[in-house]
Amino acid sequence: MSSESSKKRKPKVIRSDGAPAEGKRNRSDTEQEGKYYSEEAEVDLRDPGRDYELYKYTCQELQRLMAEIQDLKSRGGKDVAAEIEDRRIQSCVHFMTLKKLNRLAHIRLKKGRDQTHEAKQKVDAYHLQLQNLLYEVMHLQKEITKCLEFKSKHEEIDLVSLEEFYREAPPDISKADITKGDPHQQTLARLDWELEQRKRLAEKYRECLSNKEKILKEIEVKKEYLSSLQPRLNSIMQASLPVQEYLFMPYDQAHKQYETARHLPPPLYVLFVQATAYGQACDKTLSVAIEGSVDEAKALFKPHEDSQDDESDSDAEEEQTTKRRRPTLGVQLDDKRKEMLKRHPLSLMLDLKCKDDSVLHLTFYYLMNLNIMTVKAKVTTTTELITPISAGDLLSPDSVLSCLYPGDHGKKTPNPANQYQFDKVGILTLRDYVLELGHPYLWVQKLGGLHFPKEHPQQTVIADHSLSASHMETTMKLLKTRVQSRLALHKQFASLEHGIIPVTSDCQYLFPAKVVSRLVKWVTIAHEDYMELPFTKDIVEAGLAGDTNLYYMALVERGTAKLQAAVVLNPGYSSIPPIFQLCLNWKGEKTNSNDDNIRAMESEVNVCYTELCGPRPGHQLLTNQLQRLCVLLDVYLETESHDDSVEGPKEFPQEKMCLRLFRGPSRMKPFKYNHPQGFFSHR
Amino acid sequence: MERAVPYTVPLGQREVFQALQRLHMTIFSQSVSPCGKFLASGNNYGQIAIFSLSAALSSEAKEESKKPIVTFQAHDGPVYSMVSTDRHLFSAGDGEVKAWLWVEILKKGCKELWRRQPPYRTSLEVPEINALLLVPKENSLILAGGDCQLHTMDLETGTFTQALRGHTDYIHCLALRERNPEVLSGGEDGAVRLWDLRMAKEVQTIEVYKHEECSRPHNGRWIGCLATDSDWMVCGGGPALTLWHLRSSTPTTIFPMWAPQKHVTFYQDLILSAGQGPCVNQWQLSGELKAQVPGSSPGLLSLSLNQQPAAPECKVGLARSCGGPGKPRVWAGSSLFSCLQVLTAAGSSCRVDVFTNLGYRAFSLSF
Repeated sequence: MSSESSKKRKPKVIRSDGAPAEGKRNRSDTEQEGKYYSEEAEVDLRDPGRDYELYKYTCQELQRLMAEIQDLKSRGGKDVAAEIEDRRIQSCVHFMTLKKLNRLAHIRLKKGRDQTHEAKQKVDAYHLQLQNLLYEVMHLQKEITKCLEFKSKHEEIDLVSLEEFYREAPPDISKADITKGDPHQQTLARLDWELEQRKRLAEKYRECLSNKEKILKEIEVKKEYLSSLQPRLNSIMQASLPVQEYLFMPYDQAHKQYETARHLPPPLYVLFVQATAYGQACDKTLSVAIEGSVDEAKALFKPHEDSQDDESDSDAEEEQTTKRRRPTLGVQLDDKRKEMLKRHPLSLMLDLKCKDDSVLHLTFYYLMNLNIMTVKAKVTTTTELITPISAGDLLSPDSVLSCLYPGDHGKKTPNPANQYQFDKVGILTLRDYVLELGHPYLWVQKLGGLHFPKEHPQQTVIADHSLSASHMETTMKLLKTRVQSRLALHKQFASLEHGIIPVTSDCQYLFPAKVVSRLVKWVTIAHEDYMELPFTKDIVEAGLAGDTNLYYMALVERGTAKLQAAVVLNPGYSSIPPIFQLCLNWKGEKTNSNDDNIRAMESEVNVCYTELCGPRPGHQLLTNQLQRLCVLLDVYLETESHDDSVEGPKEFPQEKMCLRLFRGPSRMKPFKYNHPQGFFSHR
Repeated sequence: MERAVPYTVPLGQREVFQALQRLHMTIFSQSVSPCGKFLASGNNYGQIAIFSLSAALSSEAKEESKKPIVTFQAHDGPVYSMVSTDRHLFSAGDGEVKAWLWVEILKKGCKELWRRQPPYRTSLEVPEINALLLVPKENSLILAGGDCQLHTMDLETGTFTQALRGHTDYIHCLALRERNPEVLSGGEDGAVRLWDLRMAKEVQTIEVYKHEECSRPHNGRWIGCLATDSDWMVCGGGPALTLWHLRSSTPTTIFPMWAPQKHVTFYQDLILSAGQGPCVNQWQLSGELKAQVPGSSPGLLSLSLNQQPAAPECKVGLARSCGGPGKPRVWAGSSLFSCLQVLTAAGSSCRVDVFTNLGYRAFSLSF
């Protein structure tokens, strides 16, 4: 029963626990607070250990009760029901207890959770604080190192040494007593001293400047004075000129020339000195003059001490040009070529007067970057020359001086180093530029004292006075001879073209009075045409038909006989004779290969030319050779053996007086003319 | 330095002159030394050049060995003719004959041994000597040339013993009939005359140009070359090259050669001839042209057979064959040429062509 009652009470209690509690709260919160049943508060009061004991005990009781009920049920019986009921009540009480305990456990758990959460939050706050502090520490440390690393500007200033500072600085700055112990103060003091010193020096500098200004002004004044002196001196010189002229003492002119000559490049200078000297000593007709702009020469700031300078100069200039603009490759090369072939702005004019008042004008140039000299020649005569067509090349500036010395045709550069320079800028040979630049004859280099030994090319070629001097006389004489021989040829050609052989009176004795064969044609032919003539093979094979020679074709006629003569005129005329090759068209074609007498005729003019030279210097040789050829043709035709079987008179009756018609195994004809008897004999 | 050269003679003039001289050189005569190792040749400038055949023909011959070992000025005018004896070299040009010792020449001592001038009638021009002929049996030398006479000179005493007159123009060539001392001469007048030396008179005259078969009027009548082989004689020049039977004075073979011939010789059973044109012609006696071997000169004036055997066994090769025409013979060809036995030909150039066999020109010696 008790168990039942307790059972009933229990739920009531619970009910009253639940609903009335709310009702009470609703009614009045404040007055019923103390009395308000709060399981939460109860929890604080109870010991969890005892609750646990209670729980264990309750559970045991329940188990026991359950087992008893089981036991009772299995036994069965009437009375059992009551007992079971009893037991059930007891168990209900125990259940209630369990429920209570369960609730308590829940509340406890919740409480525990809250507590943990609270604690955790606290920890978090602390952690955050710690982090902030750490960061602050780091920042401060950084600031400290920054401060430690700070460099003051004064460290860069080169201060005077410590000893010097203490020795020289006034005590009010050095303050030895304070600064000796304190390096900071010491440095400050030194800086003060430095500042003081600098101020003083700036003062001094200003003073010097003003001093300089003053001196400059003085110089200006003096200069003005000097320049005002120059016109006065000039006027004095001007006034003295007539006196000089009157006394034949052209000091002034010579002086001027020497003044200009100082700016000449070394080879031209050597030539200038040597030519002037030669002119004074041996040949009064030789005049030397300098042409070109002295200012331009000055602008070159005397760079041409030797050829190495040259090269570096030109290199520098080349670089400049390439930097300035970036033109196409072709234009660039063109510019380079121009640069390489540049002439010195000054040139030397030599006027060589010959006996007949014709003048050979020679202009010498110096190619700075190639270190060679060139010459341009021009011949002027007193009387106007009628230029024969065939004489075109005789006096042309291009060829008038060709082969002055054997083989010196002036078309190749004499400086072996040039070839490499040319390769760089793509110049094949100097030949293409010779017309514009002048000819670099070997003798020109020698006159300028330049010598380029073939075997061992030298690094630098230096103009040499002795070399120039040793060649001067020979060359000058050769030049004169050349001009005279060319003029003589020129004159002869003028007549030859009209079919007249201009035999001079002093050569008349070389020929019989009556010459029947006539020159009908005298024309110039090309070298290639000469080479292709069938009867000139021997000359070509003997190497006597070089391309520096001039070539002519003469035609001599008598009746039906036509004698062609191909003539090689060596530029060395008249010391080297013109060479004739003959071809006779008469009763078939006869040349030296099929007629011994034609061969003999050739040898008469080619080998025995010395007797045809006439009076010295023998410029009449060509004329005499041609006249001789006419005589030879006469003899040949008149002595030709007459064919008895042919009817009619001989075409060429024998008019010449001959001792014998034929002689020797080769049946030579009497080609030799004997003066004054006037007969022909064999050589 | 170059200042030493006077300005009128710059370098190059001499070279040009020398080149021209060489270009216009004519070699008129040749003669082989008695030892057979050297060849003398004379040119139109009066120079005699001695070539060493042995050096030029040796296996290690260089360009140098084709140049003369010595050249000397022998005459003022051309050297038209030369002959050699065992010791001497005789050279003849304008008017005189000079004798040289081979021994001296080879030692390069170029001093003449003596000089002789045949007794000429006074004339404006000194006559030239075109031909020399040795008569070994009589030890005499016969000279002929411009004065239309044959002069006999006794080599023992050096005096001129007789003069044979008969030609009406100058004499080109001489030939000796060895069996009976008779001399043939051919001249510009177109006649071949046969002289008896002992009687000193003309025994026979053949006027070649009068025979129509061989006359060629456009070339002239002159006889330029002559060779004899006892009964047979071959001559040429203006008229055609013709083989004559002497006893009957009749032409037997006329060789078909247009160009005038300047030298002819019997060689075994062939006739070699040369003249205008660059070729050495080889003829069968029957008149067939066996071969034409080109040389390097435009015209040839002399042929020379080096008959001196270098070794004794070669002697057989050059024995003169005496036979009539028409007899079939076999020419042994190159095998007979051995060592120094060569044919040399010279003419209007500065080169002497050397034929080591008859088939082709081996090389040229050059002045």
